[in-house]
Amino acid sequence: MSKKVRNHIARKPSDIVFDTCVYLFFGLFTLLCVFPFYYLFINTISDNEKVVSGLVNFFPTGIHFNNYIALKDVADLGSSVIVTVARTIIGTALMVIVSAWAGYLVTKQKMWKRSLWYRALVITMYFNAGLIPWYMNMLMLGLTDNFLAYILPGMIAPYNIILVKTYIESIPASLEESAVIDGANTPTVFTKIILPLSVPILATIAIFGAVGNWNSFQDSLLLMSNRPDMYTLQHRLYVYLNQSSNLAALVSGSGGLSTQAAQNMLSSKVIKYTVSMVTIIPILLVYPFMQRYFVKGIMLGAVKG
Amino acid sequence: MQATAVRGNRLTAAHKPNHILRLNRVLILLLGLMVFLPQFNPGRISMKINENASLFTTAISYDTLTNSLGRPLRMEWVLPQHFHMLMAGAAVILAGVVLCAIGGCMSLGNNRMKRVGIVMPTVGSVLMAGGLVVINHVYNIFINLEKADKIEPNFPNGIYIFAVVAALIFITSIIVWLRLPKQVEEKMEMEEKYRLFLMMLPVLLLAFVFCYLPIYGWRFAFFDYKIGDALTADKFVGLKWFTYLFENAATRNDLVRVLRNTLIMSGLGIITSWFPIAFAVLLAEVRSTKFQRIVQTLTTIPNFISWVLVYAIAFAIFSTDGFINSFLRNVMQITGANTDYLANPDGTWIKMLLWGTWKGLGWSAIVYIAGIAGIDQQLYEAAKVDGANRYQCIWHITIPGLVPTYCVMLLMSIAGILSNGMDQYLVFENALNKDVIEVLDLYVYNIGIKQGLIPISTVVGVFKSLIGVTLLFGANGISKAIRGESII
Repeated sequence: MSKKVRNHIARKPSDIVFDTCVYLFFGLFTLLCVFPFYYLFINTISDNEKVVSGLVNFFPTGIHFNNYIALKDVADLGSSVIVTVARTIIGTALMVIVSAWAGYLVTKQKMWKRSLWYRALVITMYFNAGLIPWYMNMLMLGLTDNFLAYILPGMIAPYNIILVKTYIESIPASLEESAVIDGANTPTVFTKIILPLSVPILATIAIFGAVGNWNSFQDSLLLMSNRPDMYTLQHRLYVYLNQSSNLAALVSGSGGLSTQAAQNMLSSKVIKYTVSMVTIIPILLVYPFMQRYFVKGIMLGAVKG
Repeated sequence: MQATAVRGNRLTAAHKPNHILRLNRVLILLLGLMVFLPQFNPGRISMKINENASLFTTAISYDTLTNSLGRPLRMEWVLPQHFHMLMAGAAVILAGVVLCAIGGCMSLGNNRMKRVGIVMPTVGSVLMAGGLVVINHVYNIFINLEKADKIEPNFPNGIYIFAVVAALIFITSIIVWLRLPKQVEEKMEMEEKYRLFLMMLPVLLLAFVFCYLPIYGWRFAFFDYKIGDALTADKFVGLKWFTYLFENAATRNDLVRVLRNTLIMSGLGIITSWFPIAFAVLLAEVRSTKFQRIVQTLTTIPNFISWVLVYAIAFAIFSTDGFINSFLRNVMQITGANTDYLANPDGTWIKMLLWGTWKGLGWSAIVYIAGIAGIDQQLYEAAKVDGANRYQCIWHITIPGLVPTYCVMLLMSIAGILSNGMDQYLVFENALNKDVIEVLDLYVYNIGIKQGLIPISTVVGVFKSLIGVTLLFGANGISKAIRGESII
């Protein structure tokens, strides 16, 4: 509508300058957002020697995918991938189930002390005891160096509970009432009526939850200090990146590049890029599906309890 | 007289508060909590057993139980079956606790359900006594071992405490049982309000364990504690660490430096918090919807990658071997271009702001893009009729339409001024920029986890939490006063 209105007015030279600047700005910023991913990618599929000499800047040369195949020999990477995939699937599934169930129950006005419990859940979004008490708590519960540490705390996602609650409240109450009259109890109403109707919101929280799980880094860093085989992929990448940066610093500090050092840098640079790419690709793959849920997901900061 | 009293009692039993039953429930709740607290672990019958193991952990995790007992086990001073027996004892106690918990839940039902339910804690407390006997038996084995000194047997207070609680639950259960009316309903039923509550209970327990129980960790602020120590009364130091924070010159300087970094980075974020609005408004001015969609799609991607990946990208672009240097060397023919831009501490604050903007701008703009789409188009048409140009439309219609959302965002970021998260700063931190990049969250991590200074980092965390809550309520108050709407 606004575009139609605007089109009636002749464009003045100042408008053209303004529009050009706007296009230029967005073009540049978009390029800035995309180019690093592209750069990373072409450097993982190009001729490794050229990559190391820094000759692959804008276009891939000598395309091959051996680097990705070679990753299977990189120490500890496999277990990190398994752990991360497992926590993404299990953690997300449980989070969605708990959020759906809790989000449904808190709409029940009849529940004993309902608003107290609801508030208790909401407060946890704004208040936490701090990193160290949280860590000590996990230690106390025996959840350090333990895969359950990735799953259990993530099951409670107050924000998602609020999202589901708000959504369920928008479902006509008559649907539920008619089922209750037909003799359905709460769990039946939940599985037969509420769940099928809330699929859109559950998909939203599932996809955001999955990305969050995939990106998880801090819990692995804090809790898995004695179990490198249970590092998440992000943590593993962080370890690799730091190894490489130390190596690079060492080489540039010694003055000249020895061949051996250059060889090491070759492999470490390429491995680093390829692992980064492996970590990014799943996100890029689900990204098109996420887009439809953006507007729902963005309410993240704006919805009230 | 007496007869009427009895009759009255019988009639109103369901409605009158039953104090013994309440006590019974409170005891069961207490028991449920004690299961997770290592101080009350009746299974810590050797000083070598992990002091952070709770009864729950004792029952489920052989590894945690014995992680400091590698040598005694290898030397066969103590045998795995002793620990298996210990775990079995703990598991029996756990089973008793579970029974008690079920009974506690059932006590919310009608009298018939109460009558059936009260059997559970009665049996449960007997089970717990049995488990305690098993643990005591293992303890007796331990003190009679040949190398008992190597595994340092210890009679934990937890055994007494659990025994007392189990006994009390047993007694109260019996009393409740005796006082419940004999004539009860035909069917077990529970009022819907309690049924719904019990369905909610597992969720509430999870939230309690992971969101509220950490507050119990604040006790470390009052003790002289190192990881691996037991928290005993003689280590209580009162407010020592609170005053230490301000009296010790080194810590005070650290804190000032860290607070400066935190406030500057948050401040820069707040100063630039209008960027997303500008982004959204300008994007709305673009005529081609296709271009709009492409820009929106591509600029949002960085929001969904973690800070570690942002660092990986920074590394690919700005490190010695990264894009910038190889571009300068090979395309611009500048030999010797091998600056490591990431190691350079100059302008760290601005760099961090730019990374934050790169990652978050497209995403933060979405809320405003949605906001612009929601503005009534008639306003624009009316303005055109009145002769407004496009800048006037932006300034007098679009921006005012976005201000309420902006206010909420701004207040939230002011409330979170001390919490900038640690991931971003952790990944970009190095020896050269440590002084300017260390924000409060990262500082807590560095001294607490890396250096193991648990008490002092807890104190910092306590202050941070309290200030954060105060700021949030302050911001909420402001919002209520100005807009008549709360933000939380």
